[in-house]
Amino acid sequence: MSIHLHITKENMQQDEEPVLHSIPCKIHADDTANVETYFKPYIQNTEGDNLKSSFRGHPLEGKKIPVPKGYMGVTFFEYKKPETDDAERNIYATGRFSEFTYWNYDKVPTKNDPFISALDWIDIAEALHSNDDMQEEK
Amino acid sequence: MVATNEQVDDETVVKTEINQSVDENDSANSMNEDVPITDSEILKKAKIELEDEPVEKKAKIGISDSDAIVKDELKIKPEVKEEDDELKVKSDKSIDVITKKNDLTSYFASRDHSINHVYQSQIPQICKDEPCQLGVDEAGRGPVLGPMVYGIAYALLSQKKLLVDLGCADSKSLTEEKRDIIFDKICENEDKMGWAVDSISPNYIANCMYRRSKTSLNEVSMNSAIALIRKTLDAGVFVTEIYVDTVGKPEKYQARLESLFPGIKITVAKKADSTYPIVSAASICAKVSRDHALRAWQFREAENETAYGSGYPNDPVTKTWLADNVDPIFGFPQLVRFSWSTAEKILESKAINVEWENIDDDSPGVENKISNFFGRSSSVKGNERKRHNFFTHRCLSSATSL
Repeated sequence: MSIHLHITKENMQQDEEPVLHSIPCKIHADDTANVETYFKPYIQNTEGDNLKSSFRGHPLEGKKIPVPKGYMGVTFFEYKKPETDDAERNIYATGRFSEFTYWNYDKVPTKNDPFISALDWIDIAEALHSNDDMQEEK
Repeated sequence: MVATNEQVDDETVVKTEINQSVDENDSANSMNEDVPITDSEILKKAKIELEDEPVEKKAKIGISDSDAIVKDELKIKPEVKEEDDELKVKSDKSIDVITKKNDLTSYFASRDHSINHVYQSQIPQICKDEPCQLGVDEAGRGPVLGPMVYGIAYALLSQKKLLVDLGCADSKSLTEEKRDIIFDKICENEDKMGWAVDSISPNYIANCMYRRSKTSLNEVSMNSAIALIRKTLDAGVFVTEIYVDTVGKPEKYQARLESLFPGIKITVAKKADSTYPIVSAASICAKVSRDHALRAWQFREAENETAYGSGYPNDPVTKTWLADNVDPIFGFPQLVRFSWSTAEKILESKAINVEWENIDDDSPGVENKISNFFGRSSSVKGNERKRHNFFTHRCLSSATSL
């Protein structure tokens, strides 16, 4: 099985960056959502750069997280889902982003969140593998 | 993204094509708070808004609690006129002072309904000089739609007859028309009595009940009542007696209020609404406000402004509306109290399933048996290489597939 990532120049050039929200629950769907009318109007700024909102009545606390320097966020979409486990997969880039909003359920996002602290690895990897050949650690 | 992260796999990234900052929401919200704003600040804000903000935001200039601000708004208007006629109309609609029941509609329509709002009527001087009684009651505790409203009313102890003359009686025995008429009469008697309401948004209620440590509706209610009493006392009303209607246990509630407001005679009772005219007055203020707040609801989700009825779960109109207005991802517009079982059940069957992290997952597994700490460990796992804590804490693992 192999996975092909298709990244084209056209897909990477966009007038507007997509706005991304990472929601702390599993939504059993892979579809478009009415973010603009149901979610965006209710986002409030609280202290500092903290954000507040709700999803299905659940309190959310969020923060904008920039993509680390030297990296680029890319959104992909798989138009045709594989029917078998060993089928070849084609995944297409749909846009790039430089930040996203990370939402926690009733908890201010901090360095204690695995998602945020995982970005530490980028600096450490940089230090460990300073030759450009960045290896997977075992 | 760069790192593969087990937790990330479990999350869903909702993507949208819009690319506007959330800052404008913020400025709109901050205008809504009940913080006193000085004249010059208002003008400054108004100017800034005229330059940058879309029409809807500008309309919020006039929202505040004092008279001074209404005048300021008038001063601003000539400038506004040049900009947009529609804006002028909207500014006229946003109301700061409620002097009759019709004002309630524009008051609630112009406010951000996802957050709570406290309105306090003008306080007559005589209520600061002479002893008053104060009543507390709520409206809209049961409905699945719209805010729950807490109300207080106060009047001179020496004029108990006034309330009876106004027709303040058990609000449940009154028709909506009668309540509206009495509310207008209460407003007309602004030189002898006063009132205040706290409109608790459906979103706030749902948030409280879905917290990691849940705040019960009783707790929300009590806090609202306490805050309203406190605000009234802070404003200088000479309160000597407080009467509170409760659905919960009166004794505990009474003890709590007595400790918070020493020196004031406090009576907490079930059905106080029908026993004490001052509680009936509070009840009428709350109920009339709730009815108007519900009807004045401005949907941001759009296209679901069809009739939604009284908001009570057994109202067929409300039932139909709920069933017809499900968004597969977001569930309902924020008019709905998501935490109500009526709403939960509909979402279970009509919306896409959503799984939250299980916060009650403290069930002691086999691993945690106390005997495991003694005797020989039987589950030493071969030579499996243990990853460094750095990776396990961050849920990082090597990405080999998607």
